[in-house]
Amino acid sequence: MRGVFRFLAPRLLRALIAVWLVSTVVFVVMRLSGDPVPLLLPPDAPRSEIFRVRRELGLDRPLPAQYGVFLANALRGDFGRSIHFREPAFAVVRGYLGATVELGLTAFLLAAIVAVPVGLLSAVKRNSPIDHVAMGMALVGQSAPTFFLGILGILLLALKADLFPTGGRGDWTHLALPALTLGAFAMASIARVTRSAVLEVLRADYIRTARAKGVAEWLVVVKHTLKNAALPIVTITGLQFGTLLGGAVVTETVFAWPGIGRLAIQSIYNRDYPVVQCAVFLSAIVFIMINFAIDLLYGVLDPRARR
Amino acid sequence: MPLTRFTLEALTEAMMIQVTRRELLKGAAALGAAATAPGALTPARAQTTQKRELVVAQGGDISKFDPHFSTSSNDIRVSFNLFDNLVSRHPDGKLHPGLATEWKLHGQTQWTFKVRPGVKWHNGDPFTAADAKWSLERTWDPKVGTRVSTVFTTIDRIEAPDPATLVVHTKKPDPLLPARLAFYGGQIVPQKYVEKAGNDEFNAKPIGTGPVRFVSWTKDDRLVLEANPDYWGGRIDVDRIVLRSIPETAPRIASLLKGEVDVITQLPPDQEERVMGNASTKVEGALYAGLYVLAVNGKRPPLDNPLVKQALSLAIDRQAIVKELWRGRGIVPNGPIAKGDNHFDAKLGPLVYNPGEARERLRKGGYRGEEIVIETTVGYTANDKPMSEAIQGMWRDVGINAKVEVLEYSVRAQKNRDKSFKGLWWSDPTSTLGDPDGMMWRLLSPGGPQDYWRHPRFDELGEAARFSVDEKFRAEAYREMTKIFLEHFPWVPVIQPYEDYGLQKYVEWTPNPNQQFEVRRFNLKLRRA
Repeated sequence: MRGVFRFLAPRLLRALIAVWLVSTVVFVVMRLSGDPVPLLLPPDAPRSEIFRVRRELGLDRPLPAQYGVFLANALRGDFGRSIHFREPAFAVVRGYLGATVELGLTAFLLAAIVAVPVGLLSAVKRNSPIDHVAMGMALVGQSAPTFFLGILGILLLALKADLFPTGGRGDWTHLALPALTLGAFAMASIARVTRSAVLEVLRADYIRTARAKGVAEWLVVVKHTLKNAALPIVTITGLQFGTLLGGAVVTETVFAWPGIGRLAIQSIYNRDYPVVQCAVFLSAIVFIMINFAIDLLYGVLDPRARR
Repeated sequence: MPLTRFTLEALTEAMMIQVTRRELLKGAAALGAAATAPGALTPARAQTTQKRELVVAQGGDISKFDPHFSTSSNDIRVSFNLFDNLVSRHPDGKLHPGLATEWKLHGQTQWTFKVRPGVKWHNGDPFTAADAKWSLERTWDPKVGTRVSTVFTTIDRIEAPDPATLVVHTKKPDPLLPARLAFYGGQIVPQKYVEKAGNDEFNAKPIGTGPVRFVSWTKDDRLVLEANPDYWGGRIDVDRIVLRSIPETAPRIASLLKGEVDVITQLPPDQEERVMGNASTKVEGALYAGLYVLAVNGKRPPLDNPLVKQALSLAIDRQAIVKELWRGRGIVPNGPIAKGDNHFDAKLGPLVYNPGEARERLRKGGYRGEEIVIETTVGYTANDKPMSEAIQGMWRDVGINAKVEVLEYSVRAQKNRDKSFKGLWWSDPTSTLGDPDGMMWRLLSPGGPQDYWRHPRFDELGEAARFSVDEKFRAEAYREMTKIFLEHFPWVPVIQPYEDYGLQKYVEWTPNPNQQFEVRRFNLKLRRA
C-alpha cells in the first residue's frame, strides 16, 4: 500500500501543478493579447460604451483581482460566461466535447489498430517490399500537411468518387474522412516507432535465445518481442491520443467539424477569455490524465518503473 | 472511372498549384479550389428540385440570436429573417413596408407609423405598436446593455397611443429615420416574451415575427429554422432552412458542387469559374452597399499633406486591380459615395490613374521619401493583402516609399478602437442607411471611428445634411463634400466589389447588397419540376 502511495503521490502532485501552471499561463497570455471589447461593439460605438462593456465583463479590475476571481471560480468548475456567446463558458465547451471525443477517439483507434500491426510487420519483414511500402506511406503520412490530405480526401473521395459527404457532423460516413485525415499523422508516427522498437528488441540476446531453443517465430514476435517493445509504443500512442483530442484544429476547420480545437481558435480570435481558459483547462486535464495513465501502465508493463 | 486514374489526375492537378501564401488554411483553400477544375466535376444534375429544405453554407457560424446583441454579418443573415423591422430594405435597395405599413413625417421631427394589423409572434401572441416602442427603447436601455445602443441616438421619445400607431419624435429633423429602422438595431423583439423569459432565455430560444421560426442550433455545425406558416408576407417556398458553417472556401465550394448545400456565401471572385463551369450551379452577385477603401491617418506626416494623398490616389491603377485581382467583379469608385446610395453622382467619372501627375504632385507637395505604411489584415476584407501588395508596387513606381505590414484581425480591431494606425489601412465601410450619412459621415465625422482629419466646411455640411429633411439641400451638400473629399482624401477609395454567392440552378434568389440574407417569399423560390 505504501509503495502504491509513494508511486502515485508525486505524480498526482506533478499533475496538479501542471494544471495550475497551464491555466495561469493561459490567463496571462490571453490578457496580454488584447481587449475583447472592440470586437464586440460596432466600430462607431463611443468610448463611454466601451467602458461600460469593460465594466460589465469585469475587465476594468486590476489583473491580480481578475486572476483571483478566475482561480476561485475555476476551482468550483465555474469558468465564467462566454463573452461571444453570452452563455456559461463550460456549457459552451461541453457542447463541443462530444464531437471532439468522437473524432479523436475514432482517429486514435484507426491509427492504433492499423499502425501497430503494420509497424510490427515492417520490422519482422525488414527491408522487404512490405517494409518499403509501409514505411514509404508512413513518411507521406507524417510529412503531408493535414490540410493537404483533408482537401485531397474531399476532392477524391467525396466529390469525385462520391463515397463520403464533404464535411459536417452526422452518421459514420461523415466521420470517416476527418478521422482518416486526423489519424494519418498519428498512424505514421506509431507505425514508425513500433517498427524501430520491435527491431531493437529483435536484436536482443533473449530473442536469440528464444529462437535457439526452438520457440515458434510467431510466439517470439508476439510474446517475447512485442511485450518488451511495448514501452515506447505505449508512450507514443498515449501522446498521440492527447494530440488527437486537442490538436485537431486544421482537420476540424477543413471538414467543418464542430470540435473544441476550432472553438478554441475562434475564441482566441474573438478574445473570448472564458471559453479559451475553459477549453485549455479541459484539454490540459485530458493530456495530464493520459500521461498519468501511461505512467501507471509503465508500472504494470515494466516492474523497474515502480521503483 | 477507375480509382487510380482519377487519383493521379487530381494529385497532378493539386501538385501543380503553387501555394504562395504562408497561412496554412489559406493555402488549403487555394489548393483545393484550384484542384476543383470545372472539367473534373460530377455530371450535371437536374435544374429543378423536389426539395422542401434549403441548405445554406456560410463562412462562419452565428453567435447570438438576440438581434440587439450583434451586428456581425453572420448573425444578421439569420436575425433579419427571424425578426421583422418596421421598415424593410429589399434587395432592390429601396425601403418597403415591414411591420409598419406606412409612415409619414409631420412637421420636422414627428414621424407616425401605421403598424401592420393581425401580425402574430412565433408563439402566437399578437404583435402591437407597444412591442415596437419597447423594442426600440430596449436598444439604448443601459440596464439591458445592447450592442446597438448608438443606432437611434436621434430619437427623443416614442409613443404608442393605440395598438396600431407608433409615433416617434426625433431630437432634430432626421430624414433617415425610416432607413435607420430598416437596419440593425431596428429588428422588433417581443416585449411580453422577453420580459417573462429574460434576455438569456430569449437569446437561446428566440421568438420573432419573421418568415422563419427557430428550431435548433448546434454550434459550429447547423442551425435549423422552419417556415412560419402564418407569416404576414406569405409562407416561404420551403419548409425548412438549414444554415451550416463551413469555414474553408474549398470545402464550401465542394459541398455546393456535390449538391449537399443549395447556397454558399462569400464566394471569392477567383473561384467563380469553378461554380459557373459546373452544369448544376450558378453565381449570383450584388454590388456591395459600400466601398473598400484605404483609410488614411491624416494626422501623420506626410499624410497630412493633400498633394501627397492626391498622388497616392492618382498612382493606383484601379482598373488593373478590378481586372486582375477581382476578375472584373467590381467597379472603380468615383468618390466617397457608393453606387446605389442616395446622392451618388453618376455624372462624376471614376477615380483617375495618372502616374505622371502623381509624380508631379509629390514633387509639388515636397515629398522626401518618407515611409508610408499600409497596415493590412489577411482576409479580413476579400483580397486585402494582394491589393496591398499591388498598390505598394504601383506607389513605388512613382517614387513613394511604401511598406506593407500585416496585422492580425483582432489587433486591427484594437488599433481601430485606439485610432493608432500608422498610415493607411483597409476599411470596408458598409452603407448602413443607403445614404452618405450612414457611411462617409458615420465614419469620418468628428468623434467618429475614423476621425483622423478635419475640415471646417466638410464638417459643417455633414452636420447640416444629417439634420435636414430638404433633399435638394442634402444633394448639394454631399456634392460639395465630395469635392472637398477628393482634394483631401481622408480615404483613398479603391473598389466597390460585388458580393457573390454560389447557388444551385434551381434556387431563384436575389442577394441583398448590404449582406442581409433575405429569404422572404418575394425573394426566394425553388424551381420545381
